[in-house]
This record gives sequence, structure tokens and C-alpha cells, in this order.
Amino acid sequence: MEAKTEEQSTKRKKQKHGSFWTWLAASVLFRLVLIYFPKNLNLSSRPEVSTPLTSLRRLAEGYWLKQSSMSPYAGSMYHGSPLLLSLLGPLTVKRIEGQPNHLLCSLVFVVADILNAMLIRATGQTLQVAYRQSLKSLDLVTISESSEVLPSGDIAALVYLWNPLTIVACVGLSTSPIENFAIILALFGACKRLVPLAAFGWVMATHLSLYPMILIIPMILLLGYGPDTPRKLLLLRRYGKAEDNMSIDSCQQQEKVINQSELPRVFSWRPVMLFLLWAIVWSAYVLFLCGVSAKQYGSLWEMFERMYGFILTVQDLSPNIGVLWYFFAEVFDFFRNFFLIVFHMNILFIIFPLAIRLKHRPCFLAFVYITISSMLKSYPSVGDSALYIGLLGWFVNELSGKSVEMRFSFCLFSVYVGVFLLSPVMHNLWIWRGTGNANFYFATAITYACLQIVLVIESVSAMLNHDRKLRKLSNTKIHVDKS
Amino acid sequence: MAESGSETAAGAKPKRKPIVWLGIFLISHSFFFSVVFSAAGVVALLLLPVLAKNTYISENALMPGSAASMLSNQEVAEASRLVSDLTSSNLKPLGSAIGSQRILAQHMSNLGAEVSFHKFHSQRNQFHPLHFFSSPDSGRVEQNVSCSMHGVNTVGIIRAPRGDGKEAIVLVTPFNSAKVNPNEAFSLGIAYSVFSLLNRVPWLAKDVIWLVADSQFGEYAAVSAWLRDYHTPVFSGLGTLDAEMCPESNNLYGMNENLSTERAIYDGFKRAGTMAAALVIKVADQSEQFEDGLSIYAEASNGQMPNLDLINVVNYLAVHRQGLRVKVEKFWSLLGVKWLNTLGEIFESLGHFARSLNPDWKFGIPANDYVEGSATLASSLYNQALGVPTGPHGAFRDYQVDAITLEISPKISLLDNIARRNDLLLRSGRLIEGVIRSVNNLLEKFHQSFFLYLLTSPGKFVSVGVYMIAFALLVAPLPLVATSLYVDASNSDSSVKKEKPSPSAIITRESWKWLYAAKKAFIVHLWGSVVSLLPYFICQMPSCTPTTSFIIWVLLSVLSLVLMYMVLASPSSHTNESQPQRVEWPILKSVTLSAAFIGLCLMSVINFATAEIGGLLMLPMCLMAHPLKPDVKARSKRTLSRAVCNLVLGFIGFPPVAFIVLKGAFEGLGSTNVGDYWSWVESLWAWNSATYLYIGMVHLPCWALCIHILFHRS
Repeated sequence: MEAKTEEQSTKRKKQKHGSFWTWLAASVLFRLVLIYFPKNLNLSSRPEVSTPLTSLRRLAEGYWLKQSSMSPYAGSMYHGSPLLLSLLGPLTVKRIEGQPNHLLCSLVFVVADILNAMLIRATGQTLQVAYRQSLKSLDLVTISESSEVLPSGDIAALVYLWNPLTIVACVGLSTSPIENFAIILALFGACKRLVPLAAFGWVMATHLSLYPMILIIPMILLLGYGPDTPRKLLLLRRYGKAEDNMSIDSCQQQEKVINQSELPRVFSWRPVMLFLLWAIVWSAYVLFLCGVSAKQYGSLWEMFERMYGFILTVQDLSPNIGVLWYFFAEVFDFFRNFFLIVFHMNILFIIFPLAIRLKHRPCFLAFVYITISSMLKSYPSVGDSALYIGLLGWFVNELSGKSVEMRFSFCLFSVYVGVFLLSPVMHNLWIWRGTGNANFYFATAITYACLQIVLVIESVSAMLNHDRKLRKLSNTKIHVDKS
Repeated sequence: MAESGSETAAGAKPKRKPIVWLGIFLISHSFFFSVVFSAAGVVALLLLPVLAKNTYISENALMPGSAASMLSNQEVAEASRLVSDLTSSNLKPLGSAIGSQRILAQHMSNLGAEVSFHKFHSQRNQFHPLHFFSSPDSGRVEQNVSCSMHGVNTVGIIRAPRGDGKEAIVLVTPFNSAKVNPNEAFSLGIAYSVFSLLNRVPWLAKDVIWLVADSQFGEYAAVSAWLRDYHTPVFSGLGTLDAEMCPESNNLYGMNENLSTERAIYDGFKRAGTMAAALVIKVADQSEQFEDGLSIYAEASNGQMPNLDLINVVNYLAVHRQGLRVKVEKFWSLLGVKWLNTLGEIFESLGHFARSLNPDWKFGIPANDYVEGSATLASSLYNQALGVPTGPHGAFRDYQVDAITLEISPKISLLDNIARRNDLLLRSGRLIEGVIRSVNNLLEKFHQSFFLYLLTSPGKFVSVGVYMIAFALLVAPLPLVATSLYVDASNSDSSVKKEKPSPSAIITRESWKWLYAAKKAFIVHLWGSVVSLLPYFICQMPSCTPTTSFIIWVLLSVLSLVLMYMVLASPSSHTNESQPQRVEWPILKSVTLSAAFIGLCLMSVINFATAEIGGLLMLPMCLMAHPLKPDVKARSKRTLSRAVCNLVLGFIGFPPVAFIVLKGAFEGLGSTNVGDYWSWVESLWAWNSATYLYIGMVHLPCWALCIHILFHRS
């Protein structure tokens, strides 16, 4: 609710330019207050916040094992990256007298959140410029100027910062702000066409949580096409209009000529190749670093097995807000492998159709991928939802247009509020009171999954409607010009 | 789903799926359906006593009453001696507090039980706003305790010959050592007779703990202090710290030395295994009935109930083996109510009619049973809704232990007739023995039967599957009307826009208009949480009567509302002006209804009874809300009556007014003042009742939003 409130407060942005910074400072202050809050908030032990992959307590345990010259992966406690261990590990043991435990780690997460917000803002602004340009290339500039355009970068950043889920993930000592940082860094780099940065972000994100691997498709599209391209067909018509006077036979030929020469943007292979090259370099580097830190206690293979194997084989069945734990607790052992393949193929199946349909909007494609993977991943947490809800803010102009608006926005919002209030209550009923059972908690998890499906469907259809509308407008324009 | 229908309707697609069609149908007739649904909800609530099922013992392992009782007159005679010892020790004024405990410890020890003393400080119940979501032990607050305020529980443990010490059954007898009450002494006698028997039976597989809870600071405090220490082992030696702090409490240890002949009196804290069940035994004064009675109290904090099987076992053994008359609490005042009687007769004749149609239809109960069932159900609902435990058994539920209080009410006075006393001692001892023997059979903890139920009589219950229907019907109008209002508002808005076509305007914010209303609702809910936190600060103020505290609370609340409105809501007033005012209140109402719906659904999971009663109070207010000004201006009979209705409902909906009206209805208005509300609320938060949070964070904000809609300028 807060996020939405803040979102609409940012709509006054045009009048008060400084309000973004005020809200940013306020959000930081709010986080600091929560960090200093007495211990009975107990957020870091909530299953919604900390999963086996993101929990800082497990990281501290892993660090302790490493300090006593054992493998941090011994005993199935830690499943994160060795790099994270070397980065955050020393901070987990450092205590400042009279301050809350893990204060330094909390501060790191707050900084990560702020960086995330700034990157989201910058990316959003780039996207907006690209959007204007593409409107211009369709001669629809009047549209964007006649009605107000919301500052989508600011909105997205503030939605991210003030989203209660982000705050909970940040204060609840889960490492998801850092994972989100890697993902956002990749998208930012790709939007700004900073190829090495994009490759670094992608490699880190993949290394930390594996699922962002599928973002390689939107990244390639982003680098190849640019952040926002009108669809090719549209452009063809647009530039074909001058030649309409000529004979119909030559029209085909003309279009081909246009395709090669006149179109402002075509797929450029150079940055993509560079990106792949850089990605290889960075992954070699990351593997080297991991190998160095793994050398003391075991092999690199152990890291792969304990990190990615743990993610892919869903070994930990403790409850979380996803649906896999329940399913794999129920399934017979000899079907387990089969269903593991089925569930992971689910994500891969969705990738290609979406890529074909949405290839002209790579950032939106990335948003859809992140949402889908956060729905189907093995250990989802609220940090993932925080990320995609923040990214949704980028498309506020496209999704809130008249008659192509996203439907059920209010309904979705209410169900989000309901689910995230009900989830801890159901957990309490099951674990502490003992009057409920696992089905109670799973009910909220499945509602949450359905909610994400509806969100994806609605946002994609709203985006496609928006494109359809643009095409219609562009067509009428052509007709007006002709007559 | 409902909304999807409406949206498709706006798109006017020719082909519709049946479910979409159903959604559109429901929304377009939302008024009719909301009336039907809420009426059906009320009827279903009234039908609950008719729909109640007979209880049955679900867990096969319990096998109540399958073994002959072993309790004989020998144990009874010993117990009787203990009772007279205790009552006579009361006559000696000096050192009786220690004296009676010493007698008890000696008796226990003579039986061969391990005896230990548990010293505790009475903790004032404190306001923990976040206690509900955290684990039970995390709410523990270390605070400075005064040394004079300590009580001593006496704990005896029998180790089971066939057990591995991992499980235990607990007997609790509250006992005020400072002033021995004959009833309490009698309850100690019952427990002692069972304890002495259990000490030598071969079948015991679970350890038996007998807790003599020192009830000079309240029974609940003693039991909960013992449970807390039982479940949170302290390794740093806090107990010795306490002893150092309070030198005068050392006389107990001195007493231990006196008892040097005994083998096992132990300073530290003695534990047995996890608790399978707990029975609190109490004895009431002479009952008015002509039989020996047994009252069962089961409600723990926040409307939690023990497993139904425990009640079933007690009920079965008491009725079929010991011939006791089992009662559960009921509202006696409801028994004479006319309309309830009439309703019962109607249901009875309906049942006859149904049976005449088809003899297999077993519907309907006698009118008398119906009235009794409703009175019990009402009391069950009330106690659950209050969220305050009805006895020391409530402390066990926080640790997932099933516990009930058994209150034995003898036919005649216990002092007069020794033979009668021994007879009752024998019967109640056998009852307890039977229950323990059943629980002893359990292989797992109670899980087979229901946890979520309402009792309509000791042998009849309404399960969650039945009463949730009544609640679902009751609150179904909320999302229905909310969607219909939302759809209407956005449709009327788009029709306004269509009049002045502006094809170039592709970027507007029509669909996100609800954000303003949501912001308003959010601020009001935030205010609600601030209001719920205020008493924490108010009760820090010294020497406040309830009335002044209440007035301070109201003033601070109003002040905080004004402040929040100025800080958070005023900047948006510019944007609100650009919004068409006409459509704003339906959206606001729609958001209010959604908030109320979410709040009620959430509460129904936490504490069903609160949600049901709160729904009955809140539903008409929220559904009727409509701005007064146009109603008064229109001056037709319908709109004026609606305005009057709204005003009355808005007045009654204010929590203190609702409290005073309800209190007046049940107890008469004579002695009521606003200070009572403060005391009531104070008791709610002292017991960590979720009802308190419900009132502050759901009911009050929704009421404020409704009032806001009433006085909306449009």
C-alpha cells in the first residue's frame, strides 16, 4: 500500500523536482529505524523473507565453517556463492558494542537497495527517452507532448524503495538485495549499451542465483535492437508511405531496400558479439575466483553441486512462498526426477514464445522473465517480488494508457495485500498454534502463484494492446497524410 | 473472477464464458445478491445449533473407559486425610503459607515422587503489540521484579515405569497457600488420590506432573510462569540470581533442610518430557442442581480450543462412567428470550415437516434444545471472540498443549458430610484416572479430531466446515458491492470521457484512479495502528482513572488523525481537485469495502468468533454508507430513511458506543460509563488478544472511512 501511495505522490514530480530525493532519504531513514527496532520483529526467521539461499544466518554459519578451515558447504547449511561468503562473511562476525547484531550487513543491504533504486531510475529514464524517440519515428510525437508523460524512472525507483516487500527483504537480512543488484546492473548496462558492465551483471546474477541466466535473451535483444523499437512492420509502413504513389509491383522491392538502408535500427551484431565475449571473460574470471577460494577445502565441483545442484534438485523442502516445496514433499521418490525436469522445463518452454512476441520490447521481456522465474523458482522469497514490482514501474506510461490500461489493477493490488497479510497468519496457525496444517500455508502460496500469473497475463496483454493502439494511430496518421 | 466478468462486459464481447457470465450477472444485481447473501449468512448463523453434530471419539488409541478403574477407597482415605490436614493447617495463622506447601511436598515425597519448588515472580501483563506473530517464548520480557511479589509452585513428578521420560501428562490444581480454601483443598485431595494411585500402577507410559500452582497472584500467572520456565531452559543460572536478590525467599530452602529425611526435594527446575495433555482441576462452591456437576472450560487465548477429543473423553467418562452432569458455559440470559423460543419452535416444526416428507431427513431439534444450544453457542462465540482464556488451561495452549479446566460442583456442601465428600472424591478421582489412562494410550499428540469448532452442548459441536459457510455468506456482499461500485465508477467515467473524444490522448491515468482512494484508506489504517499503540504510552502515566485515560486516548487519537491528515494527505489535495469529485466516493467506498473484506477474512483465520461478531457489526455500516448531502437534498422518503439509517449505523459503529450499547443490552445501562471501555480494552491487550488489534486496525479505520463517506462533499 505504501508503495502505491508513494507512487502516486511522485506524480507531482513535475511541480516539485526535489521530492524524489526527499522520498529516497525518507526511505533510507525508515529502513534505519527498522534496523534499530527491537528484536521482536524477528523478520530474518520468516520463511517469506529468508530462503536457504538468501538467509544471512546460513551465510554466517558458512563463514564460521570456513574460518575453522572446513568446507562452508559442509552440513547442508550454506548454499550461496563463495564470493558472497568472502564479501559478507567478515561483516557477519564484526559486532559493534551496543549496536544490533549484523548492523554492518544491514547497512550493506540498505546501500544495495539505494543503488538498485538509482539504477532503476537511470534505466527508466533511458527507456523513456527511447520511448519518445520511437514515437517520433512514428510521427506520433504530438501524442506524447499533448498529454503528460509520467516520469517512469522515478516512479519505478520509488515503488522499488517503498515497496513493503523490498523493505522487509532488506531489513530481514536476506541477501536478495545483492542478487537484485546484479540483475538490475545487467539491465542497466544493456540499456546504456555498456557492454562489459552488462556482461558482468549478467554473469554475477547467474552466478548468485542461476535463474537470471534466462535474461540472456532480453539482454541480446536490448543490445541488438536498443531499448525500445517499434515493430518492424510498423516502420515499414511508415517509411513505405512515400512510395505508395508508385506502382504496387515495385512496392515489395522498395520495402526490401528500406529494410536494408533506411530503417533507423536494425539488429546490430557487434555489441551482441562483444557481450558474449565479455560474458565468457567474466565467467572465466568468476570461476577463477571461486576456484581460488574453493581450493582450500574442496573442488570447484563441490561448489557447483552444492549451489546449483541444490537449486535444481529442490533438496530443501522447508516451506516458502513458492509451490515447489509442497509438491516435492508429496511426490513419490521415483517420480521426483521426472517432475524436476517438468518443472524446470516449464520456465524454458515459456521463454521462446515470449521472446518472439515481445522482441521489440526487451526490457518488458526481461520483466516478464523475472516474474515467471520468481513464480517457478525453487526457493522464491519476497525479494524477488520486490524486484519485479519495481520493474513494473518502468512501464507505467504504457500500462496506464486510456482504454489499453492494465485491467484488474485494483483487484491485483487487493489480493497482494491480502496474500501478504494472510501468509504469516497461516504460518503461525500451522507452526506455532498447531491448529492448522501445511495446506493452510500452501493455500496462500498457491494464491500468490495465481496472482503472479494474472499479473503477467494482464501486463503482457496491456502491453500488446498498447502496441496495437500505436499501430492504429500510426495507420490513421498515414491515411490522413495521404488524403 | 467477478471483476473479470465486468471488464469483459465493458469490452462488450459477444461470446462469454459461463463463469464470466455468472460474474457479470452477480455484479449487475449486486444489491439483490448482497441482501440475499447477508440474510442467508444470518440465517445460517441461527441455524448452527440445528446443524450441530454429535461428538465422537476420533482417535482410536484413546479407548476411554475400556479398563476398570483402579482407584480404591484406600487412596481416597489418604486424600481425605490430606484435605483435613490442609484445612486444619489453615487454622494455624503463623507460617501457614509455608506450612501447607510443606505438607503437600511431604505427602508427594512420601509417595515416592520427585518434588521440586518453582519460584516465580508475578509478571504484570504487558502490552506486546507484535506478540501475536512471534513465537511464544520470544515475548519474554526481563523486568525488574520486586522481591515481595513472588509465589512458589510445588511440582511433583512421577516417572513412568514403562515410559522413556519423553512425554508427560500434567495435572494442575490452583491453590492459594496464604489462605486455604476448602474447595481448593478438596481439589488437591482429588489430585492427590489420583497421584498416589498413579505412583504404583504398572501401565503408566507417560510421566505425570502434578503442579500445585500458587494462585495468590492469580491462577493463570502461576501456571504460565511455570510453563515459561519449563519450556525455556536457562543455562546462566538465573534462578540463583533470583535467590540472591531476594533473601527472604530463602526460607523455602531452609525448609528443604528440615525435610532432610525425604529423598528427593530438589532446588532446581525439574522437567519431564513434552506434555501430551493437561487437566486443571478445580472445585466450585455448592451447585444449585440436584446432581454433582462438572463444568468444562476450554477457551484459550485468541479463541483457540483444545482438541475436541480431549473434551470428548472427559464428557464420555463423566457421563457414562461416573454419572456426573456435564455442563459447558452458556448465556443464561438467553434462555428466556422470546424470539429465540419462537425460532426454535419454527425450526422444530420445519423438522417435523421435513420428516413427514421423507423419514430419512434428520433435520430439526426440539425447541428447548435449540434455545439451550444457542445460549451455549453464544457463550462459546463470546468467549472465543474476547480472546481471553477462561482459566489457567489457556496458558498451555500457547505451547500447543491441549488442556481443559474441569470444575467439579458438588451437590451439597463439602464441609458437612464426610461420607458424601469421600464419595465425590472417589468419583472425580476415577474420572481423572480414566482420562489420564486414555491420554496415556496416545501414541502421538492429539491431532485426529477438530481444533476449530464451537460447542453447542458438551456432546454437540459445530465444526469449521459448517460455521465458515455462515461467515462466507455474511461477508460475500463486500467484494461483490466493491466490484460493482468500482466498475460503475470507471464505466460512468469513461462515458463522460467519450462525450469529448480526444483520440490523441493515449496516456491518461484513468485506470489508476483508485490509487487516491487507496492512499486515503492506507492513511486511515495507519492512523488506526497509531491509535492502537497509544494506550502503551497512556498507561505509563501514573494515577489515571479509566475515564481520564479514555478521554486522553480519544483526544490523542483525534490529534494524531489531524496531524496525519495534514502531513500525509494534504499535498494530494491539489491532485484531488483535478479529479472529478462526483466519482470519488464510490471508489473510496469500494476501497473501504475491500479493506473491510481483507480485514475480516484475515481475522476469521486468526479468531473466527471475532470476525463473525465484527462482521455482523460492520457489514451494514459499510454496505449502507452513502453521502448524506445528496440524500437530504433529494428529500424523498427512501433517501431520507437511508440517511437516518446511515447516521444510526455510523453512531453505533463507533467501537466505544458499540461496546456500551452491547453491555447495556446484556447487563442494563445502570452502571455503564466510558471508563468501562478503557478497562475492557486494557484487559484485551493485557491478554494479548487479537481482538484488540482487530478493533484498532480493522474496525476503527473502516468506521472512520464510512464516516468520511457520509460527510463527503459531493
